[in-house]
Amino acid sequence: MPSKTQIGYLLRESFAGFARRKLTTGVTILIMGSALLILALFTIVTLNLGSLLETARGGIDLRVFLHEELGAQREAELQPRLVVIPGVQSVAYISKDMALRELQAQLGDEVDIMTAVDTNPLPPSYQVTLSPDARTAAAVERIEQEILLWPEVQEVVYAQRWVEVLERWNSVFRLASLIVSLVVFAAAVFVISNTVKLTMASQARLIEIMKLVGATNWFIRTPYLCEGMLQGLLAGVIAMGILAGTYSLLRSQMDGLVFFTPWQMVGFVLLCISLGLVGSWAAIRKYLRT
Amino acid sequence: MKFDSKINKGPLDLRTVIGFFHTHLLYRDHAALTDVSFTVANGEFVCLTGPSGAGKSSILRLITMDLLPTEGQVIVRGMVSTNMNRRRIPLLRREIGYVFQDFRLLEDRDVYQNVQFAQVVVGISSKQMKNNVMRLLTQVGLWDKRHRLPHQLSGGEQQRVAIARAMVNSPKILLADEPTGNLDPVVAQEIIDLLFRINTGGTCVVFSTHDHEIVKNFGQRVIVIENGRITSDEEHKTAASTAHRLADRMYRPSAPQPAAVRVQEGSERA
Ligand SMILES: Nc1ncnc2c1ncn2[C@@H]1O[C@H](COP(=O)(O)OP(=O)(O)O)[C@@H](O)[C@H]1O
Ligand SMILES: [Mg+2]
Repeated sequence: MPSKTQIGYLLRESFAGFARRKLTTGVTILIMGSALLILALFTIVTLNLGSLLETARGGIDLRVFLHEELGAQREAELQPRLVVIPGVQSVAYISKDMALRELQAQLGDEVDIMTAVDTNPLPPSYQVTLSPDARTAAAVERIEQEILLWPEVQEVVYAQRWVEVLERWNSVFRLASLIVSLVVFAAAVFVISNTVKLTMASQARLIEIMKLVGATNWFIRTPYLCEGMLQGLLAGVIAMGILAGTYSLLRSQMDGLVFFTPWQMVGFVLLCISLGLVGSWAAIRKYLRT
Repeated sequence: MKFDSKINKGPLDLRTVIGFFHTHLLYRDHAALTDVSFTVANGEFVCLTGPSGAGKSSILRLITMDLLPTEGQVIVRGMVSTNMNRRRIPLLRREIGYVFQDFRLLEDRDVYQNVQFAQVVVGISSKQMKNNVMRLLTQVGLWDKRHRLPHQLSGGEQQRVAIARAMVNSPKILLADEPTGNLDPVVAQEIIDLLFRINTGGTCVVFSTHDHEIVKNFGQRVIVIENGRITSDEEHKTAASTAHRLADRMYRPSAPQPAAVRVQEGSERA
């Protein structure tokens, strides 16, 4: 357990690097903050694309229109065949009459469709609801192709063809985010380890004396680790602050914009702190072999 | 205590604080020490001498386990170089004070803080710390100058600060690596006198110098090291038991004892 004097010393030393090299530390934090901001931006775009995709997939259900005059018997036979298709969750039969009523409901009271047409033009159909894991462009297309082969089927319709487009962008951005993360992690660790190395080089005599009088390795390390974590913390808070500020300005104009939850923000800052820790650890390693 | 019986033959005297047993040390392929063996008993004053590059500093660094022998064994206060936990090295160093030729003070901290620093590092409570720093600075005669920065002190004063720092944790061993190398003879003698006082207080002192003049009048054990080998290890039987006074006369025929070293004998280790 560290004593009170040790804790006091460690705290003072953790901030001393900042005070002595304001410019270097400031530049480090700025560079790291900018890198983290880019990372956070990519994450936000990916989050929003994901959310759009989610919404789109919610409406991806199929409508299978049947040929007229199949007869109730053949129409009913289709139901069990549809249900067993992998990816299909449930199936609902919509008769010609129900379809007409549906249409009437959509048109409202202005038009009386029953009087406008003498015969019902709407074909009977099945509303096919997909299970969540089948709500992708690829899965829905596979199901569509299978059903289209059936002679009873006239047409298969699903509204959100742009799910496919969204999916493509989503995966592009995910990959980009991953690459950007790796680059940003490496850059952050590099800049922080450099500043901590500077601090340690300027305190070579101090470190030498600490070892000489019997300081434990953790005691020598702690101020430098704290310095790195502190830089990570500041950079993270700055990046997140800028992003959150921008978001609060844009929120009123862009409906449905997705932002980090408070916990995600905390997580982001914790991530920045751990990047600082890794950076300073890398700097320390070569100094403290014995 | 465990040690390799193949290397360390015979029983280890309980009074032994430092033991070298057939120690070899290589820096890459350069042999700095060859088959060095000697032991130092508790409370002994040993002078290590020999020309520059003979291996004196290497021996001292082996004692703090800053270096480990390439071959052979070093045992310091029960810690065995061939069989130890590296994480215990800091604990060993708390029992060893170390003084250099070039003082190695922290230039941006004043005298008080320099001495205090050694205590902060090992986690002494702040009240005890104050007492210890005050006691040590008084003993080396620098309490009045405690707020000065190192560059505002003479070489001899800086070395006394360094000694105060080395002694503030009450070590059992004091290693002084050419502590007089940068000082003129008068001041050098003051430092040597101070080392003697420290030794009288019970601390084992190993003092290295390449200056044979200093050694000539020692009534102490002198180990001569040349080219990495011990060539002589004997007790100097000078007539005067207080050899430092002899030397004192040699350098300053009529000067009184300097205030700095007029300390209560034995009070260093209160
Ligand atoms: N870090 C080192 N790397 C390589 N050689 C060294 C190193 N330190 C000392 N030496 C060599 O080891 C020998 C002994 O050095 P040292 O112990 O410093 O002698 P002394 O203190 O008696 O002057 C010398 O020849 C010196 O050049
Ligand atoms: Mg030397």
